[in-house]
Parts: sequence; C-alpha cells; structure tokens
Amino acid sequence: MARQAVLTDFHPRRTAVDWDRMAARARSMRRAEAVALYAFLIAVSLPIILPYFWLVTIAFSAKAGVAETMVLWRSMLVLVPAVIAFWLAAMVARSRREAWLGMGAIALAAAIAFGLLVGPDLHLRNFIFLVEPDFASVVRSRVGAVRGAVQFPNVWHAFANSLLIAGAQTVSVVTVASLAAYYLSRWQFPGRAGMLRSLLVLHAFPVLTLVVPMFLMLYWIGLLDTLLGVILVLVAFELPFAIFIMKGFFDAVPWDIEMSALTDGASRRQAFLRVVLPQVRNGTLAICVFTFIRGWEEYIFVFTFLVRNTNWTMSLYMYYVRDDVMGVDYGVVSAVGVFYLVPSLILYVAAQRYLMQMSIGGVKG
Amino acid sequence: MARVEFRKIVKRFGDIEVIPDMNLTIEDGEFVAVLGPSGCGKSTSLFLLAGIYLPSAGELLFDGHVVNEVEARDRNVGIVFQSYALYPHMTVRDNIRFPLRFKKTPREEALGRVGAAADLVQVGELLGRRPSELSGGQQQRVALARALVKEPQLLLLDEPLSNLDATLRLTMRTEIKSIQQKLGVTTVLVTHDQIEATTMADRIICMRDGRIEQVGTADDLYLRPGSLFIAGFIGSPPVNLIAGQAADGAVRVGRVAFPFNGTPGSVTIGLRPEHLRFAEAGLPGRITQTEPMGREILYVVETDLGHLRVLEHGASAAHAAGDPVKIGFSPDDSLVFNTATESLMTGARVHPPA
Repeated sequence: MARQAVLTDFHPRRTAVDWDRMAARARSMRRAEAVALYAFLIAVSLPIILPYFWLVTIAFSAKAGVAETMVLWRSMLVLVPAVIAFWLAAMVARSRREAWLGMGAIALAAAIAFGLLVGPDLHLRNFIFLVEPDFASVVRSRVGAVRGAVQFPNVWHAFANSLLIAGAQTVSVVTVASLAAYYLSRWQFPGRAGMLRSLLVLHAFPVLTLVVPMFLMLYWIGLLDTLLGVILVLVAFELPFAIFIMKGFFDAVPWDIEMSALTDGASRRQAFLRVVLPQVRNGTLAICVFTFIRGWEEYIFVFTFLVRNTNWTMSLYMYYVRDDVMGVDYGVVSAVGVFYLVPSLILYVAAQRYLMQMSIGGVKG
Repeated sequence: MARVEFRKIVKRFGDIEVIPDMNLTIEDGEFVAVLGPSGCGKSTSLFLLAGIYLPSAGELLFDGHVVNEVEARDRNVGIVFQSYALYPHMTVRDNIRFPLRFKKTPREEALGRVGAAADLVQVGELLGRRPSELSGGQQQRVALARALVKEPQLLLLDEPLSNLDATLRLTMRTEIKSIQQKLGVTTVLVTHDQIEATTMADRIICMRDGRIEQVGTADDLYLRPGSLFIAGFIGSPPVNLIAGQAADGAVRVGRVAFPFNGTPGSVTIGLRPEHLRFAEAGLPGRITQTEPMGREILYVVETDLGHLRVLEHGASAAHAAGDPVKIGFSPDDSLVFNTATESLMTGARVHPPA
C-alpha cells in the first residue's frame, strides 16, 4: 500500500495531451529536415555532375575552331532547373507513385527543352577519330593549317592495347591474389604476420617514386616499350592491396563448410574451388572491377615505359590528342574523352550491385 | 558400419595437450554420446574421427585397421556440424549430392539416392531451394541427409540440436534416433546437453579436461556417478552436495550428524532433489522458495547445512514459503564421495539424521 501511495503522488493529475498537434509538429520537422538535407546534397553534387555533363555536351556540339560557350550555358539552363524540379517532386509527392509520375513528367519536359535549346547544335563530326586515323590533318584542314600534325595510330589499336593491359592485369591480379589470400587466411607459417604487415607498407609507397628504378629494370630485362613490361609492373603494384582485401573475404568464410567438404570427399583443391571460392564471389568481382579500371586509366607507367605509337593505350592517345589539337578543336578532345569513359562506365553500372556489397564487406550466407 | 577404437590417442595443439590419453571402443552399430562441458575435448575427438585432425600419438582403428594416415575424404564418414555447414551457393539438391560427386556416382543413381536421403529426413519438397531459404530445422535435416547420402560407415553429430528451438529439438531427437536405428550406422553424438545424451544414446562417454571420466548407460551415470563431477553434471535440477567429516560411524556437518557405514575421512554427500522428501523426522529446515515446474514443484529449503533443493511430485504446492519442514530420504539413494579423490565410495550409505 505504501508503494502505491508513492506512485500516485508521482502522477498527481492527468493533463489533456494534444496528440494530433504533436504528430503534426513531428511531421513538419521531418519534412523540413529532409528538405534541408536534399538541398545540401544537390548543392554539393552539381559541381560534380556538371563537368561530366559539359564533357558530353561539348563532345557532341563543339565545332572546329569556334570557341563558343553559349551552348554550355543553354544546356545548364536545362539541367539545373531539372535537378531542382526533381528534388521538389520528391519533396512534394505523397506516395511513391506520385513521385515517379512527377519525375517522369520533369524528365520529359527537360528532354524537350534540351532538344529545343541544344538540339540544333548537336552533331557527330567530333567522333571523326573513330573512322579516320589521320583525323588530325582533317581537323587542322578545317581551320586551314594542315602541316605538323602528329601521325596518330588507329584509335581502335589504342583501344585494344588498353583492353589488353587492363584485362591481362585483372586476370593475373585476381588469380594470384585469391590464391595468396586463401593461403594467408588459412595456414599458419613462419613470417605470416610480417608478410601481412608488409603488404600494407608496400601499398603505402607512392608509385611515382619508383618510376626511375622501374625504368632501368625494364630496360635491362629488355621489356621496355612492351605491353608485357607495363602489365608486370601494374600487377606488382596492385597485388598487395588486392591480397589484403581478398584475405578479409576469405577470413569471413567459416571453417565448417571447408571441413564439411573435406569429409564429403573433396581434396583440399576441390574444396577451395567448389566450396570456398564461390563464397568470395563478390570480393573477386570487386577486385576485378577495380583492377580493370585501374589498368584502363593507367597513365604514368604507360607514359614512361611505352614509346612506339603502336603501343599507345587510350590514356596516351588522349594525351597526344590533347597535345596536338587542343586549342584547335575542343570538340575532338572531348569526344575522345567520352569514348575513353564509356567502358569504365559500362563496367561500373554492370558491377554496381557487387561493389555495393563489397563496401559493406561481408559474405552473405 | 564400423567398429571404432581409440588406442592411447594423444592430441596436442602446439604446447597445449587437449587430449592426454584416450582409450575407447565403439561397437559396430552403436549410438554413443560424448558428453561434457565446453572445452573438454569432445569436438576434438570427433574431428579426430573425421580425419580433420591427425592424432599426435596413439592409434585410431576402424574395424581393426589403423586409419591414422587415411585422409578425411577417404574415411567415408558423415558429419553434421553445429552450424550445419551447408554450402550457401548450392541448392538443397546439390548440397545433398555433393559427396556423391567425388565418388563418381552415375547421375541417375546419384539423383535417386539424393531423393531417397531427402525423403528419409522429409525434405523431399525442398530440393530446389537454397539453404538461406530454409528454417533452422530444415537446414538441420538437409545436413543430415547430406551426411547419410554417401552411406557412411560412421555418422558424427557435432551438437546438432543446439541451434533449434525447444519443441523442434524434441522432434529431431526422436527422429535422429529412429533413423539411426533404421540404418544401423555407428553414430557418435557430441553434446553438452545431458538430456540429449541420455535420451538418444545407448552409451554415454562423459569427458572432462580431455579425459574420459566415465562410460556407461544413462542409468549408470545417474544412479552410480563415478565422481563428484559427474554427479554434479548429470541430473536436473542439480544434486545437493554437502561436504563433511566421517568419523565414529557418522558424517558430521556442523552440528548435524548423518549415520554412516563407510571409512573415516573427508567425504561429500550427494543427495538428488528428487530423492529427498518431506517426512515426520529428519533434517529440520524452513522453505524459502517454491518453484512450480509443471508436474513437479522444486522447493528451496534453508537448513543448518545451507540451502537444499527438494523436488516433490504434484501440480500444486503442498507447502508454502515459510513452512517449517523435516527432510528425509532413503539411505539407498544416497551417494557418498571421497572429497580428496572426488570418487564415489561404493557401498557407502548415509542415513537421515535422527
């Protein structure tokens, strides 16, 4: 009884609570927070979106010898209101269906506005390099000065070189890294801890510092100005980090399923290939994508170690195009840029699902 | 089907001796349980059987042949792990079929055996699913089917029921036992749960700190525990242990004297709660707590010897907290241990104090 008395003292009387008013206040607070958050995100993302947008716009609209920026401002006039309208639609919409409808309408309006304001200026002439190896002379002839143009190799040749470097590098890195990481994850051996530590230290080296010794090494081995030399150097630099990432994935695979495979009649190698490796599929794919893109965008080593223009990669091609026709034709430079960008973009979009899982970092059971 | 023998088996990990000296024979077709607290080496002995660990010394025999050097994959042992260890990237069908792939079983025959194994554990309708789409009980059944599909000579179960809820555990206990009886496969169950061990196994091997403490049937362990450890480990609610001094035909604990027929020295009396009863005469005490457990009621009684647990049959409490009672028991139910060696003094009995 005494305890009850204390409790009633604690709640002397019940005041009427206006639940509706409190709910309304919470609702408007949530909405205001969302509005502020999205406004901030748009403000910081516009400077990131805009260069890519302009790159594409220039590639499809610029004309030789004409330094005209009007089309950029007109395209921006479409993009910025469209982004803001998207944001407003997301804010105002009360259901998912309304949001999709609103965004669809805005996208349609933006497309029409873009067609009207920018459409007449669009053309494909800047992509001449895809069909005309000696495009530099053609471009120069448009403005009158033909002499002194660099002799460019076929762009598809450079494209194939890039593909070869990135592909061979990816295959080597993924193979070696998954085997090494599996061993580091599962076996105890002298020097294991030291090896793991040195993997990270190796990755900490700025690669540029090693350009000169690498150059000498390749020269003496006889691999200077060969794609194989560049591939070996890239593999060596990419391996430590790839091993480290893959080890994390292997560590997350439970011992149980491996032991189970062994008692089920598998050899150590069969257990690795059939049971363990499929568990780290996401890690392998992530390593594939990152290594491929690293090889695709490689610039410093190819610039240093490759000389002949038949060995040019896309990054070198891009560099020399900029060197030769920049100031004459921004359009062609941008078009090469767009062409260079497309494979990376396709790869990222295709592998996005797995890359997202990698950042979370686990193996799902 | 195999007869398994451990001969002076030793297992060390680095400097740590997990199993110092193990000698044990498991008969063909027998269902034995290895029971012990966690870290007592029971899983290690299971992995020794499977061939995942190799013994540091001693001999392991299957049907009289030394198999120390035989690889895990050649031992034809089926194992169900505590985590089930299903292969997440394969369907149930591929999981169960996995062991047959290495035996080069023809496709038709393999699929037939997968179907039969799946039907045996009632997962026939789940063959197309992935492990992540199964409940815990279903995963357990699939793991069992995978262990059985290769017709193993030895079936090993590593805490197979510990991840299931209580009702399912009961069903699976019965099912595993009936499957084992139907197939007659030699089976070793590792568990820390005494109920699992006593209900399923023909024989129980009680382990402690890597040593076999006692081997026997459920009755042996319950009625004649060889040591204090086993008396305390087997039985729920746990046994009441009372330490005292035996001299002049009585065990004295403080002012209380239990008439005693054994040799003098430090002894520990073990009295199971279900063997104690409220009587006209006996050890006086006062009930401090009643715990209804369904068919039985557990009373906690405060006495001069400390708190004793008394288990009485009946759904409703005959006594309430605060009631003064006297505790009696039959001398035949009493257990007396030598406190120094912790071993049972065979034939020694105590009587309730007068």
